Amino acid sequence: MARYIAKRLLMMIITLFLIVLITFILMHSVPGGPFVREKTLPPQVEAALNEKYHLNDPLPKQFFDYVKGILRFDFGPSLKYTGKTVNDFISNGFPYSAKLGGITILFVLLTAIPLGIVAALKNGKWQDMVVMAIATIGITIPSFVIASVLIYIFSFRLNILPTFGLTNWKSYILPVIALGGYSLSFVARLMRSSLLEVMGQDYIRTARAKGLPEVRVITKHALRNALIPVATILGPTIANLLTGSFVIEKIFAIPGMGKHFVESITNRDYTVILGFTVFYAAFLIAMIFIVDIFYSMIDPRIKLE
Amino acid sequence: MWEKLDIRQEEREKIVSKRRSFLSDVWFRFSHKPTAIAGLMVIVLMILFAILTPSFTSHTFSSQVLDHVSMAPWLKSIALDEGEGYIYVNQNLKLIHVNADGTLGQTLTRLDEDDINKVNTYAFDEETLQLKYGGGSQTVVFEDGREFSDVVKVKNKTYLLGTDTLGRDILTRLAHGTRISLLVAFLATAVNMIIGILYGGIAGYKGGNVDGVMMRIVDIISAIPLTLYVILIMVIVENGMTSIIIALSSVYWVNMARVVRGQILSLKEQEFISAALTIGSSPKTILMRHLIPNSMGPILVTATMLIPQAIFMEAFLSYLGLGVQPPMASLGTMCNDATEMLRSAPYQLFLPAAMICLIMFAFNFVGDGLRDALDPQLRK
Repeated sequence: MARYIAKRLLMMIITLFLIVLITFILMHSVPGGPFVREKTLPPQVEAALNEKYHLNDPLPKQFFDYVKGILRFDFGPSLKYTGKTVNDFISNGFPYSAKLGGITILFVLLTAIPLGIVAALKNGKWQDMVVMAIATIGITIPSFVIASVLIYIFSFRLNILPTFGLTNWKSYILPVIALGGYSLSFVARLMRSSLLEVMGQDYIRTARAKGLPEVRVITKHALRNALIPVATILGPTIANLLTGSFVIEKIFAIPGMGKHFVESITNRDYTVILGFTVFYAAFLIAMIFIVDIFYSMIDPRIKLE
Repeated sequence: MWEKLDIRQEEREKIVSKRRSFLSDVWFRFSHKPTAIAGLMVIVLMILFAILTPSFTSHTFSSQVLDHVSMAPWLKSIALDEGEGYIYVNQNLKLIHVNADGTLGQTLTRLDEDDINKVNTYAFDEETLQLKYGGGSQTVVFEDGREFSDVVKVKNKTYLLGTDTLGRDILTRLAHGTRISLLVAFLATAVNMIIGILYGGIAGYKGGNVDGVMMRIVDIISAIPLTLYVILIMVIVENGMTSIIIALSSVYWVNMARVVRGQILSLKEQEFISAALTIGSSPKTILMRHLIPNSMGPILVTATMLIPQAIFMEAFLSYLGLGVQPPMASLGTMCNDATEMLRSAPYQLFLPAAMICLIMFAFNFVGDGLRDALDPQLRK
């Protein structure tokens, strides 16, 4: 176990290093540099700015300074908002995004898993059809369309839910549904197919042959194993929710990380884009790592190598 | 006593099913899935719509008529006398005459404004008319004292699906946007397919350390959500169609590479590859003539699944403002432009959104159908 974790950790560090390297190179290959605007700056001002942000240093030095900064969790200053650092943006936005994301994950798991179970147990009946129809809709319709339709119906027409902000429990309803729609459908589909597969296994027949009541067969034998594939995609699902929140936070005007990220893209605020990408990537890789460790613990069939 | 047996008689008693080639077998299974066929038909219709519509409408996707801004497909207008048409009052109290057949006529020039009494005066042909808009209702009063205030819904015949905030015909833009979105999706998928096949093919065929290193790279790439990469690339290259295609096709090949590699790894152990090796075929011939054609099934399925993903991603990027440059339109940029108008003109958002959903449904259904048709494990 310890060896497996150590190996995975090493891989994680290498991956992160490469991500930082690639994003750094990409950001520094932007034509013109960060201070090119419609209004050209006087050369002295530009030189002073370059000096201030250490843009005159040789690239390798800049890179290692940047990596050193990241190791101390310092992503550097924002190029567009003087006096603000990337850390400020992250620490302002992260609580909102984390709260929205956390509630969405709970919502997804608490609805998708029961839906998938019902669909599998009632395979081919109307319940199955309904669940699969919902799942197909959720997978094919982009989140911003779902969000707009929800806003139009519930905020403009019925006037019962707010359109923006995260002030009370009511304002969470629409963003959570819009953000979780895709993952919900995906998890429900996976749960259904995985439970269907398990129900066809020999040990289920054995359990039934022993005379176990059906409820016990399902809860004790089938569900436990059917949940394993669902656990594996938790990592990617978290990734999906996080990146999906760019659009959702924009639509619902939630001051989370996604909104800051989108704004920094429109402002071409390169250090913020760079910092957010690295932060996102690190966060996601860590999440996937944790889920994988957890996964190898619950499934004894996985050999840790 | 001996009778010659009719040869047709003999053939009639043979118990064989109709011989079908692999392709017709696939087609047989595909065509027996109603959702797949429906999806295929929708795609064909969509392509025809995207290609043909611009040549049937009198508008172009970029021409703006500022008098005709945000006009809905159904105009709520004030009915005049029978045969005289209607008067459409827009949000800025601009009056547009709608002919009796629903086509848009002249825009009335405003002669006088009286904000206190809420009465505006306009020139209409040779006469003048007044619009009284106080008290929540609008009344048109002619010089001769005739008054009209009945609001009816008139089908907009000039712009069948209405106009957007800049007065551009939505139908034409929808066709244009569909064309751009489909083009981006097809091209990105094609490039992804080529890169993925070559990368996965080489990794799978070479095996050993080469495979190890190549797949490690794929692992690293797929460790981060591709959305982030695509956004990064879009930030660096100039906005535009080619950039989207470059961004999409530089990251989405990893899945394809994995699929191809898996196929090739299992195929290359089979006898026909040993046979090809024995007769001295070069690695290139083996890869191109034997291995890749034989893994075409899963490749095609992955590719059809890639198309909706690319459309999704294109819409997502355009929605964030990283899409094609105006006046070009893709379905995503149209949705983005219409978001602010959601309350007053929801049709501007719902039309392109419905189009995206339709495309996504169609490609997903076709992809599902193809997978079931090509997957040998489901074969009965």
